[in-house]
Amino acid sequence: MNDRDYDAEFAKVLEETRRLPRSIEPPRDLWPDIAARIGRPPLWQRWGALAAAAVVLLVVGWRVLSPRHPGWEVTRVDGAPRIGRTALAGTGTLRVGEAIITDDSSRAEVQVGVIGRVEVLPGSELRLVAARPDAHRLALARGTIYAEVTAPPRLFVVETPSATAVDLGCAYTLEVDSTGASRLHVTAGYVELQGNGRRSIVPLGAIAVTRRGGGGPGTPYVDDAPAELRRALTAFDFERGGAAAVRTVLRTARAEDAVTLWHLVSRVEPPMRAAVYDRLVALVPPPLGGGTSRAAALALDTTTLDHYWQRIRRIQWRREILKGIREIDPRTGLAK
Amino acid sequence: MPDLTELVRRAQHGDEGAFRDLYREHVGRIYAVCLRLTGDAAAAEERTQDAFVRAWERLRTFRGESAFATWLHRLAVNVVLMERRGSGRRERRVAPASDDPVYEQAATPPAAGERLDLEQAIAALPQGAREVFVLFDVEGYSHEEIARLCGIAVGTSKAQLFRARRLLREMLER
Repeated sequence: MNDRDYDAEFAKVLEETRRLPRSIEPPRDLWPDIAARIGRPPLWQRWGALAAAAVVLLVVGWRVLSPRHPGWEVTRVDGAPRIGRTALAGTGTLRVGEAIITDDSSRAEVQVGVIGRVEVLPGSELRLVAARPDAHRLALARGTIYAEVTAPPRLFVVETPSATAVDLGCAYTLEVDSTGASRLHVTAGYVELQGNGRRSIVPLGAIAVTRRGGGGPGTPYVDDAPAELRRALTAFDFERGGAAAVRTVLRTARAEDAVTLWHLVSRVEPPMRAAVYDRLVALVPPPLGGGTSRAAALALDTTTLDHYWQRIRRIQWRREILKGIREIDPRTGLAK
Repeated sequence: MPDLTELVRRAQHGDEGAFRDLYREHVGRIYAVCLRLTGDAAAAEERTQDAFVRAWERLRTFRGESAFATWLHRLAVNVVLMERRGSGRRERRVAPASDDPVYEQAATPPAAGERLDLEQAIAALPQGAREVFVLFDVEGYSHEEIARLCGIAVGTSKAQLFRARRLLREMLER
């Protein structure tokens, strides 16, 4: 990584960045609120309470950071969450092997080392599997979590009964129901779902479901995909829908559904592969400049498919990130 | 208005009026950095208030080794970063609306479209990447300073800057 790999055009953007206004007036006068707050005794006069708090923080910090007691800080957000059988009153430590459990009216938040956080929503059971700088691993047995992670890819992993979610730098919601089926909705970045020798790359704005014993993660779809396409995917992924289900997907797919079609290219039986690829090309043309020949794609050449994926994921990313700011052409990713 | 040194001295002795004048003098600069670090107008208002309250509480520790503006700016950056780490609340990465009055004060109106896009793009960056980008490219902090402020490694700061620039470039391409 170095700072030189941006082009001259982007250098102008950086110059523009350095010329952004240094001062922006807030939309309203904040002084009345500040004046009300500084009327209270200043913090330095409350040194007794601060000293006590500092001692508590030191003890908690030592316990969290001690290599002999690996664990992450957990905070009660609502209701009466538990760590194992112990009620969590305020803040506690979730140690490797322990589970945070929330009932129908409880919520908690787990600090994932220094790389992020996980909200544990009601009705959940989340176990800490590994808490090392090179491995942050949780297991969600049931319920729902919202995870936000800022770290290099593949440092944060969540296991479920039916798949494993590998963070590629992202934020997402993951649900596991009583049958062990899961549903992943990515709201920033990318997540890789793995299971049973299959993987799905789920980008921002996309969803993937898995079922226990279902042969691995389902085919991802964007969250505004047509209902008929979703039903056909369920049939294909989990109900032996076969070619009929694939034909329905191809008929209902839009350019916005390129994420789905790209995954299907390598998932369908060979006789259907050309039809899927051709439909994908018709909706979202492959990148110009070679590297994505039809023959190579149909032979599932990894480099060729990865090249195509980079284009598709970029279009999807721009479509999501610029929602409400610019209208993006789903065929090209360019502003209309 | 009395000079800045006199205002600081009076505020250090509990003169709320002097502190109000210091607020008027510096609020735009503090709000700007809070807005860009949080990417959210409401959160920026809260952090700006927090920063001035914290400044009032710590005024006695200001010895004048640096300019008051520099001291206050660093304190505000700390407030934003500590709040983010401490509360862990889910941040709303909502880009400011295009008719947000704060952006109407951009210095050069003809470039406002471009500038507006840039502000929105910065606001839309993922949190960690946005913080490093704002501190490095907008505010001029070094990677070492950012690493210390954010509690991350220098290498992580560089990686986040690279990521932010790449994302920005993608966002701003037409």
